Amino acid sequence: MQKAERLLDLAAFLLRAAEPVSWREIQEQFPADYGGSEEAAVRKFERDKAELLELGIPVRWVSQDEDLPAGYLIDRDEFYLPNLELPPEDLALLYLAGSAALAQGAFPYAKDLAHALNKLSFAARAPGASETAALAARHLSSAEEGEPGRAGGGALAHQLEELSAAVMAKKRVHLAYQGAERRARTERDVDPYGLYQSGSAWFLVGWCHLRRDVRTFHLARILELSVNPAAPRTPDFAVPESFELHALATRETWEYAIHAPQRCTVRLEGPVSPEARASFGPRAQVREEDGAVVVEVTATNAEALLRHVIALERAQVVAPAQLRQKARAVLAGLAERLA
Amino acid sequence: MSPARKPGARREVAAVKTDPRERLRRVLFLVPYAVQHRGIPVKELAAKCEVTEKVLLEDLDFLLGVGCPPFAPDDFLDLYVEGDRVYVALHQSFSRPPRFTESEAAALGAAAQALGGEGKDRALAALRQSVPRDRRKSFDELMGRIYAGSPPAPGSVLGRLQRAIAERREVRLRYFTATRAAEGDRTVRPWTLAQRFGHWYLYGFDLARDRPLPFRLDRIRECTLGEARFEPPSAAQLAKARLFSETQGEPVRVRLAARAAAWALSRPGVALVARDEDGGAVVEVPGASEDWATRFALSFGGDAEVIAPASARRHFAEAVKRSLARHS
Repeated sequence: MQKAERLLDLAAFLLRAAEPVSWREIQEQFPADYGGSEEAAVRKFERDKAELLELGIPVRWVSQDEDLPAGYLIDRDEFYLPNLELPPEDLALLYLAGSAALAQGAFPYAKDLAHALNKLSFAARAPGASETAALAARHLSSAEEGEPGRAGGGALAHQLEELSAAVMAKKRVHLAYQGAERRARTERDVDPYGLYQSGSAWFLVGWCHLRRDVRTFHLARILELSVNPAAPRTPDFAVPESFELHALATRETWEYAIHAPQRCTVRLEGPVSPEARASFGPRAQVREEDGAVVVEVTATNAEALLRHVIALERAQVVAPAQLRQKARAVLAGLAERLA
Repeated sequence: MSPARKPGARREVAAVKTDPRERLRRVLFLVPYAVQHRGIPVKELAAKCEVTEKVLLEDLDFLLGVGCPPFAPDDFLDLYVEGDRVYVALHQSFSRPPRFTESEAAALGAAAQALGGEGKDRALAALRQSVPRDRRKSFDELMGRIYAGSPPAPGSVLGRLQRAIAERREVRLRYFTATRAAEGDRTVRPWTLAQRFGHWYLYGFDLARDRPLPFRLDRIRECTLGEARFEPPSAAQLAKARLFSETQGEPVRVRLAARAAAWALSRPGVALVARDEDGGAVVEVPGASEDWATRFALSFGGDAEVIAPASARRHFAEAVKRSLARHS
């Protein structure tokens, strides 16, 4: 029997059983599948159980008690998707966030996300308005015909799919990577710890065996990618307990560790848009001063702060003086070229 | 007994080359969905499963071979198509889909984290409860391995918008308009939220302007719910909906030094026009405004300049002049 069919047959059999089913009975009912040597049959059954669990179907072994014999069962309460019991606005959050993410064309576990969104209609009592809004979210969030980047979406989506599977299974990956600054191609093994999105680009974070350190890789610059195909269910590494993806993912560019910490002051003349104010991140100290907004941040990559500030309307670097001078030099250079 | 049925069904299946795992996940959804939506058109069910009608019909054939011991006629799944509609006669306990797998719940959870809203923690807790007990630890771990961005607005603003969308209620917004650099009040029928090029938008019908418009979420300072309800937009209205207006005129072109080119080209919406010998590049950004082009070029420090059209280059030059004056 084909595996897909066997798995469904087995699930249907265990779901219908009134009490736990012994291994012997399973063998009798599926003689062609779990026949042969006992050791091989048990191994095959264990693999099938693992695959069913990966599909969201938990097969459980229960020991004998006063009422029931020992055996395998699928607990119906543990199998069927329950109602999420969420208020309508929380369902709207799940529908809208999931639909917009899926429409991006590249999102970790994108196929799983599509399944999850489908299943939501069972988990929600009255999803009507949210389902309609989710369709619209998907339409509006999708790349349009002829839009640059649309064609490239496929390659990125494929990389994200491979990497997200490697993150979950903790499988080592091999990358050919193009550096941004030197544009040199390097090859390296990486233990993929996690994936994050920043400014609509995706990044891989992991232990780089070449640099012997935790490194971040821009997915658009991964030229080639292969996942260790050996022993797919056996992890190649463990993620250190101290690893914190959130801290890395929410770093501002001026917080990358390039030099010693330096306190910097920026002034924005009013009216200041909420997004300009928010663009300095959650760790910035922001105060109002004579109708202007003064922002203080600690930078370990002051050049990145400079680039951020000169791209904002009505903004200037106030301190340190050296950074202000540098901003002036950059702008003067541009002005000279444009004259 | 119906042992004859099983081998017959297997022969059909052998001819089909689809990812078996994907097929299993699909059929575990489509059987209960067809049970719930009795007589659903083949086309609609295929669209829901995101497969062609041919693949869906192959799935239905495959399902005819599924059953449980002792494989008597009533032990098989029984589905049939009549007049292009799908009916399930015997579902064999597949009347509801299985729980979320940890990666399904984590993908949805990561998306929800990135949008945010007052109900985020409730939604994440509910997702966790919907994963089989044995896989919840794995779900927790996976949630710490994906980060899809930070919420674009305060939780209270997002929570109210989500509620207004779910209840189809009008909202009053305190909104910052970038072109006028000023705040104003807007009354909007919120149709949906959408995300493009790293920004989130509310898309809805602006009552004063009498047309649907996008509002950047990070420019909404306050949001209050009104009592007035609205009818959902029609399918035709939604089909026409766009976040950005049609691209008009000459697209903006930016010249980049080698150091900036790799960064610029990895941003969505940026197309390469020409590569210099030294690794620099000229890129084009269709649909970009002069304001956007100026910010984009300046975000590379001195490594980029707007080169066309002439009006965009002037806009860029003036911004450089003003910024230089502020730094003098």
